[in-house]
Amino acid sequence: MDRFRLLVLSEFRLFRTAIPIHVVAILQPTVMYVLMAVILVQPTFDMEVDRPTTPEGWALVRAMEEVGSPIGDPYIQPVLVNWDGGPVSRQVVVVEAKRDRPVAVQVYGLIDSNLVKNFRNRLTAAALRLWNSELGDRAVLVEEHPWLPRDVPYKVYFGMALLPLSAFVAAAFTGSILMAQEFELQTILEYRLSPVAVSLILGARLTRLVLSALIAVVILILVIGLVTGFWPRAVGSVLLILLPVAVIAGCMGVLAGLLFRRSIPAFLVGLVSGFAGWVLGSGFGLAAGFGQAYQWVSRLTPFAHATELLFPYYFGASIGRPLFSALFLATLSLALLALTALAYRRRVTAEV
Amino acid sequence: MHTGAVSVSSVTRRFKQVVAVDGLSFEVQPGEIFGLLGPNGAGKTTTVHLIVGMLRRDEGRVSVLGADPETQPRQVRKRIGYVSQETNVYLDLNAVDNLWHHAALYCQDLDPVRERMEELLQLMNLWERRKDAVRTFSGGMKRRLVLARALLHDPEVILFDEPTLGVDVQGRHVLWEHIRAQRALGKTLMVCTNNMTEADTLCDRLVILDHGRAIAMDSPENLKAALGRDIVTLRTTPAIDDPEALFGGLGVQTISRPEADQLRLEVRDAESIVGELVSRVAAGHRLEAVRIARPTLDDVFLHHTGRALRE
Repeated sequence: MDRFRLLVLSEFRLFRTAIPIHVVAILQPTVMYVLMAVILVQPTFDMEVDRPTTPEGWALVRAMEEVGSPIGDPYIQPVLVNWDGGPVSRQVVVVEAKRDRPVAVQVYGLIDSNLVKNFRNRLTAAALRLWNSELGDRAVLVEEHPWLPRDVPYKVYFGMALLPLSAFVAAAFTGSILMAQEFELQTILEYRLSPVAVSLILGARLTRLVLSALIAVVILILVIGLVTGFWPRAVGSVLLILLPVAVIAGCMGVLAGLLFRRSIPAFLVGLVSGFAGWVLGSGFGLAAGFGQAYQWVSRLTPFAHATELLFPYYFGASIGRPLFSALFLATLSLALLALTALAYRRRVTAEV
Repeated sequence: MHTGAVSVSSVTRRFKQVVAVDGLSFEVQPGEIFGLLGPNGAGKTTTVHLIVGMLRRDEGRVSVLGADPETQPRQVRKRIGYVSQETNVYLDLNAVDNLWHHAALYCQDLDPVRERMEELLQLMNLWERRKDAVRTFSGGMKRRLVLARALLHDPEVILFDEPTLGVDVQGRHVLWEHIRAQRALGKTLMVCTNNMTEADTLCDRLVILDHGRAIAMDSPENLKAALGRDIVTLRTTPAIDDPEALFGGLGVQTISRPEADQLRLEVRDAESIVGELVSRVAAGHRLEAVRIARPTLDDVFLHHTGRALRE
């Protein structure tokens, strides 16, 4: 058996030293995706409407049913209720006559301003539709032209943007824990006195971290596909794009472990840097959709570049500057590899 | 030209203002068990770390099997085994997986590892438990696993830092047997210890360290014999007020009082004077206890430093 393979196998055996952490590291983004996709991110809102008593009220309900996104998802699912004027959980629409004209009154419950905005905009769209239907030639028409022939479903975008995080979390969390526990268990001495070249030892550890990251990515690709029906055009290319992200994350995890020498601080650093980087790096939406400052900061993270490189594999169109993004990821990987090797020599093989 | 398996020559190592090893020299011959004996802080572990190349020396020379651990670390590390004070194993892995991990990091030839592993686990009496998580092992079993691990790559020189620290008496004897067995196989062994019994029982030769300096070096028997005296300990009621006067003319070399009612006398030949000594004490005191002992390594340390090793 050749040494490198034995070293990688040995690294995988260390899975048993912190099973919950390793499982969380691999599955956490997938769990996050399932929660967001199945529970939180819904294109269609249930809107409670007090059962109308007038033709205008019923006309508004029909208009609500007809409003939808360019992609074809309905925006509103009216739910008829008999509201007694009591407490409202989210919101209720009541069509009543005020000053001799029908008015849709929207009563809100315990929801935040973001949801209030969403409910309000959707009802306004329905009202506009109803208004236009009365105006004939004088109607104000709104045409929506999405950038792609088929608008980007958020569930798919969100899943795709989670792929780099998935690779990052798996490699960074695992790397930080594996490295820190060597100091906690004092098994670092085994590495310190080993006659095997540092490049081989570190290479095996990073290979193991990268493989874990790619396993996590494949699991998430499968889940996204099963939930949305969207599959990437070439899984191999997706994995290739995420390879440098995994290397970067693996290096950062190992660096955190070397720096802190304790599992909890190292793990927390991986956690905070991973999620902060992901949010800043197009996690919740492409940087182009946000302000200039966000776009600038976003470009400093590997997540934004990886997300832009992944985009064509899910949606068929290139965005950003692919060559620049690829160069950024490659350069950052190489720089971190060099830094990790230097830190390893300083903290492990050099004199205490 | 050194002929020793390990050669330490005028080595000094400082940590800021503290001189941890001070002009230390010794040579370990192939096939012997050589001890480094001294109290905590005497410089034993620092010396071992200098030998394995974990620390750089400020002055002097170190050679392990002809190679300098500082400039030729890989050459040295291929051929040595190191058993640290800490039982540094992966507790959630089993014994076999711990050994595979070591094999990946140390064994030059990976083909015979499986057979060697079985042989060592059998030897250390761990074969039956080889698939159990090390977390479930007793302290002695864990130390035996650490020893098996250090032997896995078949090193020529093995260094032990407090090999039986935290191990019960029975486990200690088992470990000593294993260490002796390695000597029988021609290995060179170095044992760092502050345990006098361990040094006395195990070592062919030893160097006694104090404040980083060698204060004596020879076989345990020779070191004790060199004192040229026996130790007589007396306990009386009441305590003897003026022992110098009472024991005058008996050839007592040194008198100390370890306890209020106890006297410790160093004499050249205890058996020849013990009768007279007891009669003089009994004339004015009740003799509660009398003990004659050959010197221990503690006495050797006391003789050279004026302090007990265990202090």
